[in-house]
Amino acid sequence: MKSNRRFLPATLARIAWPALLLCAICLGLAPQGFAAEKTETSAWSIQVEPVQAEEGQLPPDFSMAVYEDLIGQLVKSNKFQQVYRSGDHQAEGVPNLLVLRMTLLNFERGNQTERAVTTVKGATKVQVHLKVSPRDGNVLVEKDVQGTVRFFGENLKATFALAKDIAKTLDEASLPAPAKAGGQ
Amino acid sequence: MPIVRENTRSCILPLLYRRANYGLRLLGPALLLACLLCTSLYAQTATDASSGASGIRAKHVLGLDGVKRQIHGTLTADASGLNFAAKGAKGTVPIASIQDVFTGQDSRQVGGKVLTVAKMGVPYAGGRALSLFTHEKVDSLTVEFRDANGALHGTVFSMPLGQAAVLKKQLVALGAHASIPVESAPEKKDAGGNKQ
Repeated sequence: MKSNRRFLPATLARIAWPALLLCAICLGLAPQGFAAEKTETSAWSIQVEPVQAEEGQLPPDFSMAVYEDLIGQLVKSNKFQQVYRSGDHQAEGVPNLLVLRMTLLNFERGNQTERAVTTVKGATKVQVHLKVSPRDGNVLVEKDVQGTVRFFGENLKATFALAKDIAKTLDEASLPAPAKAGGQ
Repeated sequence: MPIVRENTRSCILPLLYRRANYGLRLLGPALLLACLLCTSLYAQTATDASSGASGIRAKHVLGLDGVKRQIHGTLTADASGLNFAAKGAKGTVPIASIQDVFTGQDSRQVGGKVLTVAKMGVPYAGGRALSLFTHEKVDSLTVEFRDANGALHGTVFSMPLGQAAVLKKQLVALGAHASIPVESAPEKKDAGGNKQ
């Protein structure tokens, strides 16, 4: 027992110092990391259109969840001057406006119970084809994006994953500077 | 006498140890059974509480401005519109602004995060077996509406089975637009498959 008592503080001291050092380094680096994540707001504004799908392919709750989640994620990303919803009259006079359109490619409704019991079955997947373009211009961003819920959470969580992925895609995309109003 | 005591102690201790060991072995299944009972009771009470007379107990999934996501409250339909009231949060969708109303069905696990974590702690992968009994079917109500600027909004609620159709009927009766008509009650069929 005595040897144990002598041994423990020494071991603790050996572990504690490197651990403290590691914590300090992490804390020091964390703000830098957050600062690096901040994106510059582009000169564009964006208008989001709901997912285009053939009748019966995508349930309305999923369609609306993708739309609402995406608007939330785009506002959060701070990439655009303004985020407009579909049909918003305020967007009509905006000069540098991008329009985001989504077409459904694939939808698989999983089952939360299957996921909880088997872990490998019952995933919910939503895949869309994303197109971002000015009102009457060339397509600037085009990509297939998928949102999936594999383990925990309800089926609608897949729409959140999809919205997050789309926002990330747009965040990483290098958008050209908008043409000046006089030049058009 | 002390020798006798010592002997009895030496006999009893292994016996007690064995019993304790046996008890620990039983602890897993007992815990599993207790969790099963608790969750089934929880599911029952949740269903009972949901069918109130003054509105439908529903969960706001997303879409209402100023109302947190995944919050439980009461959903009512009246002349002013579709009202959702929860603790410290209220949201209304005016009838005139409603573009479309949809109903749907889904299945989900009950108990939320707490039960999910508890299930992970059940020994012998009993949590997975438990998941077979801790699910329920729910209705979803999706409402598409436009604000004063014409911007499209969507809100989704989930509620106990059979309640979404009732609410949709109320909304349509109040003047809300619905592209898919309200489902009529299922027709009864006899053994031969003839409609009654």
